[in-house]
Amino acid sequence: QVLSKMESRMRATINQKLTEMGERERLKEILRARLTECGWKDQMKAHCKEVIKEKGLEHVTVDDLVVEITPKGRALVPDSVKKDLLHRIRGFLAQHAT
Amino acid sequence: CISRVEPRLNFPAGCSHVNGYKVDNWKQNLRVIYQCFVWSGTAETRRRKAKSCICHMCGAHLNRLHSCLYCVFFGCFTKKHIHEHAKNKRHNLAIDLLYGGIYCFVCQDYIYDKDMEQIAKEEQRKAWKLQGIGEKYTTWEPTKRELELLRHNPKRRKITTNCTIGLRGLINLGNTCFMNCIVQALTHTPLLRDFFLSDRHKCEMQSNSCLVCEMSQLFQEFYSGHRSPHIPFRLLHLVWTHARHLAGYEQQDAHEFLIAALDVLHRHCKGDTINDNGKKANNPNHCNCIIDQIFTGGLQSDVTCQVCHGVSTTIDPFWDISLDLPGSSTPFWPLSPGGDGSTVNGESHLSGSTTLTDCLRRFTRPEHLGSSAKIKCGGCHSYQESTKQLTMKKLPIVACFHLKVRSLCLPQKLTVFFVFYSKESRMNGQYQQSVDVLNNDNKYSLFAVVNHQGTLESGHYTSFIRQHKDQWFKCDDAIITKASIKDVLDSEGYLLFYHKQFLEYE
Repeated sequence: QVLSKMESRMRATINQKLTEMGERERLKEILRARLTECGWKDQMKAHCKEVIKEKGLEHVTVDDLVVEITPKGRALVPDSVKKDLLHRIRGFLAQHAT
Repeated sequence: CISRVEPRLNFPAGCSHVNGYKVDNWKQNLRVIYQCFVWSGTAETRRRKAKSCICHMCGAHLNRLHSCLYCVFFGCFTKKHIHEHAKNKRHNLAIDLLYGGIYCFVCQDYIYDKDMEQIAKEEQRKAWKLQGIGEKYTTWEPTKRELELLRHNPKRRKITTNCTIGLRGLINLGNTCFMNCIVQALTHTPLLRDFFLSDRHKCEMQSNSCLVCEMSQLFQEFYSGHRSPHIPFRLLHLVWTHARHLAGYEQQDAHEFLIAALDVLHRHCKGDTINDNGKKANNPNHCNCIIDQIFTGGLQSDVTCQVCHGVSTTIDPFWDISLDLPGSSTPFWPLSPGGDGSTVNGESHLSGSTTLTDCLRRFTRPEHLGSSAKIKCGGCHSYQESTKQLTMKKLPIVACFHLKVRSLCLPQKLTVFFVFYSKESRMNGQYQQSVDVLNNDNKYSLFAVVNHQGTLESGHYTSFIRQHKDQWFKCDDAIITKASIKDVLDSEGYLLFYHKQFLEYE
């Protein structure tokens, strides 16, 4: 996606804040749990196995896998998970607004 | 012993370019990179990471940022900025700042060098500790020695989709089908199976009469891979010893046996109840044994005085829920077929047939106790009429339902969602149904069904158990046969066992 300069800057600032306060790591853990619970992780694992079968175990690279499963992975994240994370990020930013 | 491990394929560890990096003080340098830019544990490193970890070419912090291992350069992987740097400077190695993997631009893939992996693991653990996350679950990676030992073990078993591991018939020792079907249900309770197969029971009993030890033995027999039926004479003897009311060769009630067995197991688990302080839990009401962890729920009873509306609450532990079917003798407020009951679980309620949900609704409905059963009210200081309502304060991990009337045919449910009543929705001492029904936290799946045919005096117990995800088997004493989900759902259902789908850590 192409973001406007303003949006890019905002993104960078938010990321900085989240990283600095360790919130990014905490959110990653929550996200990990949500994605496991809803079966997303298992779906991705299965898809990886398919790609490996297709390309052959000896020839497949990590990059192949990343390129193949990223679009599917992004599309399959449930809306509820997105909402949850967004809600948490908003809450955090509201608390720590400068 | 059962091995789920496939021997690791022997990939060449590392590459020549990674080996080329291993000179001088490389270990320390690598550690610093992990600590500062990958897994930043301290506030200072986090601040530095937040400020400096952006692509030196485009300023983005996403796009799979990598750091050069030879100089201070951060570049996007996706946009190939790090690749350009590698080519221009002939710096062949980079590290993924998200996952810590080492990438070699010559080999064009991530390289898993043993020494570097070791350092990565250590640094990650350090950072987790600093962040207060503590020890996280990591998958077991066997050492060379462990692989050797496993390969030499003749009892190694490989679990495939169609294998019959865990299935074994039980010889009927004279009307002992009531015991056999409960044993089948228990040996296929996932958490219980995991507890016993990981050998977690530490016996404190001096004599040979520990039922938990016998249970452990039973699991060994069931998961041994032997196909001949097992003869549970020792189990029967121990049951007769510890639950006298069940001794003798007459037919007993399976539900009674279940409760008695759980009780004895709970009592014999004393050695396993270590609480957080490393001390033994002596209080029988706050036991943390595996039986309590899995089977014990809390049933709340609220009695509301009809005069002053004061509520008296008690919470009692339970191992099972005995359900009446609507239409039995005790009076109840009629369920409205077209009402809010019709959309629970997303299934419509057919008029005339009763579902498990109906029974549960009935169980938790407010019940008017009538003028002949007045309760002494603490508020009014006199005997008043009241209503009583049962709710499940704490759901057990395994919920067992005991259906008291067996003549009606009950279409079974494969999955049950428990509806949580929220505290705020309490009106006049009665809980109202909350809106958020299909919550994953309350999702339970059926894994065992015990059926009874015939009369109480001369009847026969059989059970259905779920061995793998969708594989069901019928257990008729020594005979185990494959069953379809339809067979299971069409059966009468005397005892139903449900397992919580998602487990939470405490």
